[in-house]
Amino acid sequence: MKRTGFLYIILLTLGVSELSAQTPKDCDCFIQGIVQDGVTKQPIVGAVILIKELNKGVSTDAKGFYRIANICQGKYTIIGRIVGYEEKTYTISLEHGTEQNIKLSETELHLANIDIKAQKIENLTQNKTSLENAALDQTRGQSLGEALKQISGVTTLQTGSSIAKPVIHGMHSNRVLIMNNGVRQEGQQWGSEHAPEIDPFVAKKITVLKGAAGVRYGSDAIAGVIMLEPDALLDSTVLKGEINSVYFTNGRQTVNSGIIEGGFSNSNAKKSTIIPYSIGYRVQGTYKRGGDVSTPNYRLANTGIQELNYSLSANYKRKNWTSDIFFSQFNTQIAVFSGSHIGNVSDLIEAIKRGNPLAVYTPETFTYSIGRPYQDVLHNLLKIKNTIKNRHGVLSLTLGRQYDFRKEIDILRGDKNLAQLFKLTTYTGELLFEHQPLLKVLSGSVGINSLYQENLTTGTLTEPRSSTVLIPNFQNLTSGVFVIERIVRKQWEIEGGFRYDFRHLNVYRIPRGEQNTVNNQRNNQNFTGTVGINFRPNARWNFLTNISTAWRAATVNELYSDGVHHGAASFERGDENLNPEKALNTSFTINYISQILQAELHFYNNFINNYIFLSPTGRPALTIRGAFPEFLYTQTKASFQGFDFTTNLQFVKNISLNSKISFLKAQDLSHDQPLIQIPANRIENTLRFDHKKTTISLTNLYVAKQNRVPTKIIFTDIPSSEIIFNEYGGDFAPPPSAYTLWNAAISQQFAIRNKSSLTISMTVSNLLNTSYRDYLNRFRYYADEIGRNIVFRAKYSF
Amino acid sequence: MLRKPFKSPFLLSLMLGFTIMACNKESIDTEDENELITSVKLNFTANGSTQTFAYSDPDGDGGKAPTIATISLKPNTTYAMTIEILDESKNPINNITNEVANEKDEHLFIYTPTPSSLLTYTYGDKDSRNLNVGLTGSAKTGAAGTGKLKVQLRHQPPVNGKPSKDGSTTPGSDDVNIDFNVTVQ
Repeated sequence: MKRTGFLYIILLTLGVSELSAQTPKDCDCFIQGIVQDGVTKQPIVGAVILIKELNKGVSTDAKGFYRIANICQGKYTIIGRIVGYEEKTYTISLEHGTEQNIKLSETELHLANIDIKAQKIENLTQNKTSLENAALDQTRGQSLGEALKQISGVTTLQTGSSIAKPVIHGMHSNRVLIMNNGVRQEGQQWGSEHAPEIDPFVAKKITVLKGAAGVRYGSDAIAGVIMLEPDALLDSTVLKGEINSVYFTNGRQTVNSGIIEGGFSNSNAKKSTIIPYSIGYRVQGTYKRGGDVSTPNYRLANTGIQELNYSLSANYKRKNWTSDIFFSQFNTQIAVFSGSHIGNVSDLIEAIKRGNPLAVYTPETFTYSIGRPYQDVLHNLLKIKNTIKNRHGVLSLTLGRQYDFRKEIDILRGDKNLAQLFKLTTYTGELLFEHQPLLKVLSGSVGINSLYQENLTTGTLTEPRSSTVLIPNFQNLTSGVFVIERIVRKQWEIEGGFRYDFRHLNVYRIPRGEQNTVNNQRNNQNFTGTVGINFRPNARWNFLTNISTAWRAATVNELYSDGVHHGAASFERGDENLNPEKALNTSFTINYISQILQAELHFYNNFINNYIFLSPTGRPALTIRGAFPEFLYTQTKASFQGFDFTTNLQFVKNISLNSKISFLKAQDLSHDQPLIQIPANRIENTLRFDHKKTTISLTNLYVAKQNRVPTKIIFTDIPSSEIIFNEYGGDFAPPPSAYTLWNAAISQQFAIRNKSSLTISMTVSNLLNTSYRDYLNRFRYYADEIGRNIVFRAKYSF
Repeated sequence: MLRKPFKSPFLLSLMLGFTIMACNKESIDTEDENELITSVKLNFTANGSTQTFAYSDPDGDGGKAPTIATISLKPNTTYAMTIEILDESKNPINNITNEVANEKDEHLFIYTPTPSSLLTYTYGDKDSRNLNVGLTGSAKTGAAGTGKLKVQLRHQPPVNGKPSKDGSTTPGSDDVNIDFNVTVQ
């Protein structure tokens, strides 16, 4: 039998059974159909058909037939899976009183099956949470970091209100890998005030994989992986689109984003000799503009933002061959609050003492204009992917090129233009082979990844001109090979894999006070592994356990920083002798699903050897601009332990309560004290009322005070007579108090003609206009977080 | 069967990367990045003779420690005092004093003696809004003694087009913040 690696699921009938006296009136729908091999049309025996929302599943019989009965009305996701085939997902809508045969034409269904976008290897045993559909719609207009706060265990590291970096289980920047449409995002992610250069409107699904994932994704995936995925391109002759408009009252920010997509296929050709092919395309663009934002008591000068992004994608599918091309450009100017332009530590201490920013930095008048200091960032991504299938499996080659140009324009004398410039060019390549099941039980894949990167901050690559740049010029070549295999049984899935990586770093720099270029080379290599089990004793329960490793070589800023970090009022020194970090992550997840209760409890323990962090010495570094507290990059044994708990309880029809709890304890094990800059524990509760197409919700978020902060200077070789900054363990101020926020939302969906729909929503965040500060906002020393923000959203799809 | 398709596209991808790099030699010119200040010179003139005391850190922040001269003055004397700020890491030396003079409206020098009886500073120049600048002025020493003189240059640029300089220290940030030892004898 020819096996070509995709399932062919026919949803035969889908409707309301007439013989349902025993079941409640609304719950008498059913779905049934046949599962076939996509090419041979042979029935597939033993394929699992699951209704995701109910976790109800059946297996197909000897004729490939399945039936799931007694389903309530509603929208469901149907998943079909069997080892050796790609998982197929359909969204269906069951409505009482309307008997319908599924309207998918055979050719459409057939071509849909040729779709091979699901090339990514699904990790089966690690915890994953996705934002999509309504949950994603509720975040539209926000930055990626802000949007991901919806996921329990994910917080943000902020620089004011406009720069937010995602933090997973207390870690961020280089420890969080972002996969943008299948390509590893490479920007200047080492900087704590460098937000991801991504337009979230590109994605229709954002998934967060929590925990070390070094085997599949390579170095750096220590805390987790964020995956942004667009919808699959269309493969039939239709034209569709979507327009999103968002208005934020705070900052008077407008965001408009549109998508037009279409396709063409020759599947209607009369002659059966013609090989069917299809072409799909999509054009997407976003424009965002916002002005100065306000805290409850004052406006913050120079906090506007402007963003212009677009993406183009197209693909061509023919029998066993698919070619994809994707290009996106992200373009932003972000104003940085004028009051944050801090000179030295005495400026900072004055600002902390004042409590509120000076009147000159909190003007009465609103403006959209972006003044200095500001960031100007351009990011281009080009991806080309080719996939071919044969009887051995699926082979795909993904090539990517990224160009990241970041300008940080400071307040300079004489209106000089140049500031810190960073140009990063990255080439990535991945060759992946997903093999057909071996011995009928073992499925998996092997792959090779490679990355070449060139960073330029001064002069030309090999001839730097300045010794005072923040990070030096460098070249980076990383390559890795990996194997992941899994055994899927009815109730068990066992997964294991390993990987080898090699990294070569070549740095060109002029050390401080010297004239000549120094070339430093570093080679690192590492093995990583993963093993996990997924156990599903019945339809309600699911247990996942996983042990994974990941590694990360020290980045250039950790190795070679030597100077004042502008705005942070700290003097940072790198350490050339830092060793790579190695993480060992153990996680355990319990999942329960019933019609009224969905709950997930995720425990994790991430142990990191050689954890690199910036630690205060308490010593002043004397410069002509005054004294700055000195911070050194150093390493320690660290542990990140905690749990994320999410539950959704539908205690009355139409009313549900959603709760999220995140608890994290991060410890510097070598020095026996808490790690600095770890997000505080939090609990969020949402009461939700759904009726027909209306949703009303009220959310309460409680963020505790971070009481676990370091108390002592860890460098023992520094004489106590030299230590002058010793308060708060080297921090400038104690962590801010706990805070409670209320948010409210109402949304209404309208159907317009047959295929168009309009959804309008209004959300109020910080409903009570509470003044608060967050421990992980760099501006917490001198300014409050933003106040009440009323957000209007409209989404029109056609 | 498995091996063959593996190798060649992978090598191709790497080569593609290098090829594009090879014909793309970019460069960044950051001549005036960081607006570095390496030296501050104080000139004290009395009875026709000028003494200069310098704070000098030619390699910028970090690296070698700065050299700081001790200001040595006569008691109960009025000195005409000027200040120069330079970037001596550039060739020719970048005289930042002129830049400050051109942007008087957003700069303010502050001279703080400790103890305050050590000397009294009087501003000798004003900006367009009649606020002090401090490029030139006079210093009148008190009785013999020792102490410190803190020299600050506050950069107080406009915010959203509105001037922030108001004659006080508070707005803006320090471009210079150094301490000289002073001996009056």
